[in-house]
Amino acid sequence: MTETATPKRRRVAPGTPGAPATKPGEPDPQVAPETAPDKTPHPSPRTKDAPRTMRDLRLARSTTRRKPAKPEDNPLREGLRLERVPDPSVLVLFGATGDLAHRKVLPALYQLWRTNLLPHEFVVLAIGRRGYDDETLRAEFRASLEKYSRVLPLDEAAWRSFASRIRYQRCDFADPAAFDRLATTLEEIDREQNSRGNHLFYLATQPSAFAEIVAQLGRVGLDHERHDGGWRRVVIEKPFGHDLDSAIRLNREVGKVFRERQVYRIDHYLGKETVRNLLVFRFGNGIFEPIWNRRHIDHVQITVAETIGVENRGAFYEETGASRDFLQNHLLQLMSLVAMEPPATFEADALRDEKVKVIRAVGEMTPDEIRGDVVRGQYGPGWVGAKSVHGYREEPDVDPQSETETYIAARLEVDDWRWSGVPFYLRTGKRLPKRSTEIAIQFKEVPHRLFRDSATDPDPNLLAIRIQPDEGIMLRFGAKVPGLGIDVRSVTMDFTYGSAFAVDSPDAYETLILDALLGDASLFTRADEVETAWGIVTPIIDSWANDDPPGFPNYEAGSWGPDEADKLLARDGRKWRRI
Amino acid sequence: MATSTGGPVAVAEPEAPGEPALRWRSRAHSIEEIEQELARMWAQQDLTVDMDGDGVRDRHIAARTSVMNLVVVARRPEIGERSAATIQRLTGRHPSRTLILSPADPDGPSWLDAQIQAHCVLPRADAPETCAETIYITPGGEAGRHLDAIVAPLLIHDLPVTVWWPDEPSFGSEPANDLFAMCDRLVVDGSSWHGDGLTQLRRLAGLAERFPLTVSDFALVRQSRWREAIASVFDIPEFLPYLRHLRRIAVTYGVREDASPDSTNIVKPVYHVAWLASRLGMRVIRPLAPLSSPVRRAPARFGASPPLQNAGGGLGAALRVERTDVAVVVRPVLSEMPPGTTLRVELLANWRGSELRADVTAEQEAVHARVWQDGVHALERGFNAPRRTDVDLLAEAIEASGRNPVSAGATRMAAELAGGPLS
Repeated sequence: MTETATPKRRRVAPGTPGAPATKPGEPDPQVAPETAPDKTPHPSPRTKDAPRTMRDLRLARSTTRRKPAKPEDNPLREGLRLERVPDPSVLVLFGATGDLAHRKVLPALYQLWRTNLLPHEFVVLAIGRRGYDDETLRAEFRASLEKYSRVLPLDEAAWRSFASRIRYQRCDFADPAAFDRLATTLEEIDREQNSRGNHLFYLATQPSAFAEIVAQLGRVGLDHERHDGGWRRVVIEKPFGHDLDSAIRLNREVGKVFRERQVYRIDHYLGKETVRNLLVFRFGNGIFEPIWNRRHIDHVQITVAETIGVENRGAFYEETGASRDFLQNHLLQLMSLVAMEPPATFEADALRDEKVKVIRAVGEMTPDEIRGDVVRGQYGPGWVGAKSVHGYREEPDVDPQSETETYIAARLEVDDWRWSGVPFYLRTGKRLPKRSTEIAIQFKEVPHRLFRDSATDPDPNLLAIRIQPDEGIMLRFGAKVPGLGIDVRSVTMDFTYGSAFAVDSPDAYETLILDALLGDASLFTRADEVETAWGIVTPIIDSWANDDPPGFPNYEAGSWGPDEADKLLARDGRKWRRI
Repeated sequence: MATSTGGPVAVAEPEAPGEPALRWRSRAHSIEEIEQELARMWAQQDLTVDMDGDGVRDRHIAARTSVMNLVVVARRPEIGERSAATIQRLTGRHPSRTLILSPADPDGPSWLDAQIQAHCVLPRADAPETCAETIYITPGGEAGRHLDAIVAPLLIHDLPVTVWWPDEPSFGSEPANDLFAMCDRLVVDGSSWHGDGLTQLRRLAGLAERFPLTVSDFALVRQSRWREAIASVFDIPEFLPYLRHLRRIAVTYGVREDASPDSTNIVKPVYHVAWLASRLGMRVIRPLAPLSSPVRRAPARFGASPPLQNAGGGLGAALRVERTDVAVVVRPVLSEMPPGTTLRVELLANWRGSELRADVTAEQEAVHARVWQDGVHALERGFNAPRRTDVDLLAEAIEASGRNPVSAGATRMAAELAGGPLS
């Protein structure tokens, strides 16, 4: 394999001077919407975290230096980390009648309750637009649990006690009076259930409702943390914005109401067991970190492959495509975990500081680079798993002339001391032959081929981290074939979670919801991470909009994507790993 | 000539996921034969058998897996059986090479009888099986007095060695010491020891000083939800300052009406005091001794839990943190609960003229914490605390060992409260 010369990209972090957050002629999202060019410029609208006076600024600086008060200050907490139960609290679930709540959030809450990881004084206040009562919603939740709970059959006693904790309140998000009623209900619950004013607002709604809900929560004062310790947090589901401008706008709207430390942006990939293990693997073992750099690693491949199509989400997918649905969040998050420097501590901000540095080190691509280094695709009809499937354009709620991409492959570079010259190949797609999420670290060949007479060339070492399914880690190395001669073959050492620890891993949502209740934001994305990631993806989307329409569909369902994706690596003398 | 017998075991039905299934059973009469049997067992490409008679092998074993060596010392056969059942439930979570030692008659010539078994667990219905081996060893005669010589050749290299002594460990005996010298972790259950259990507790602490091993006591592991409940009180910033100004720690435990004062094991209530004292940096000024005067209970107030029926007796001790003395009371009350079960932990603190009382009680399968500040009810919290099985306890003991400062500190402090570690 050859190392290729790579053009240096202009490295710009959104939110920093010179960041092309907008296209020419468009309003600067950093400036208030009402600040039109013909008006006197106003200062940028402030978020809750922004200092207002010099005294604020001094205080803010001194606060960042001072170690914040943490539960660890309680000496009885030492050694009890795994036993910690969250504070009494109310989880206010917006979008409770929706698909996400039924498939993911509710089963996770039930499982946490069943395993005694939630406090006694815990209430789920489900919020939806439908005219349900408590019992109707509980019956619906029960039916969903029968389908989606990872532990079946249901534990009847656990379900009964959990169900008694669920309440329903109808709420039209556009109706201010509904939020007044919500505030009153929460006061009542706090009084009756002793939940001490601790509220976790979980926004499992359409993204278009996020800003409105947050604004209404702020209007009725539900963002205010109480002097007696009552905390307020908001969990926001992905997608967080649909491009850089909208992400900045949404961050600003959220920031007007909640402080950044109160905001938990979910990317559920970060809650997966193997993704968390990636941190342990890299920083809990001594033998990998010394070779985790450009001197030893040839390139990295990250694959998120799905066999499913768009299912019943055609309308949603038409608006997102693979770049927004996967590249901006899951793929870039995985890449940042692979490439980040060791954080000083295992605390949320230390971890996220290092992650965001990686994304910042990926330069913004020029249109020419996008044409050369990014491949998009859309599936046509084909066969997946012995089943004939439609092409994307034949899916329900999809435009028959749609130019939405269902596949994207990109060659990115992390332009820093550790990774300079090491390409990161990222790909994701729908209707691929196999469901698999994997990170493959391809090491360089040995400098001197001592066993050149071997019947087969041993492959260079490879470390594959399987995220799903069959979570585990595989290391490939060369070994001598038994016999009189010197014949070298590649063999693998395989660690499989299922064999080494035959216990069920918690679902990502269980991990993340528990972390949010405990106030640990390590596995959630920060505002600057989201914006920096959009700073990479938005120019790609914009560039496509200006290019000629692609010849979609350009890959058959059940194949590994368009030919151009193979050529992307072949150009560098490499090929996609066979999964 | 080898005298070993046995081999793969046929099973009629596939086991349900998570249920251990016996896949191999054979017998041996010397260490060499045991080693040969283990080699024979794992040399088989496929341990499984045709389960439905259709000539097709139905299940494949993914891996023989071991994450540690687990040595169980069972003085009675029924304890060995019970321990083996517990360990088999852990095959998936902590697959280990398990040696169950049941020394027989120490007189007469040396002999050894061993059963080698492999149990497999199906993690999921569609997953391959994971297997681990269990070796039941009954040494007789002189061999029974040299357990270390039996264990050493059968350990898997480089893996940690955990000794689980479910019964009353013979601390101080030479065979036991030889065994402890080669182990990394010792798992015991202090609440099962005879009498009040305090002498054994002192020996346990002495052992931890002599050998570089980590101790896990089920009696302490069981109290994790109590600790969580007590710690949660002081998570509230307003209450945290009181923690450094405790004046009194009182633990109430249950006894039966017909029990004599020294016959109830009080390791668990003593651990509560020891945990608090060790976490708060207290030192023992006066170890536990019978109270000379009847315990004066503070009057129940402001919705406090109803007073318990005092069974008389009780122990008192004195601790000191910085220059402040802390009174300790461990007292029995009549109860239907198993003897020695903690029923209540009460803390009294004074800080800047203000009084804080925390009352933590067990009620059915929950632990409740209630707090009064200057006589005003200030907090009430509940924690689910279902009774945990030996499988849960062993798993937690193994996972906590080696990294949990709570166990070492509490064991040492409990021994100090009981009069100091014994060599």
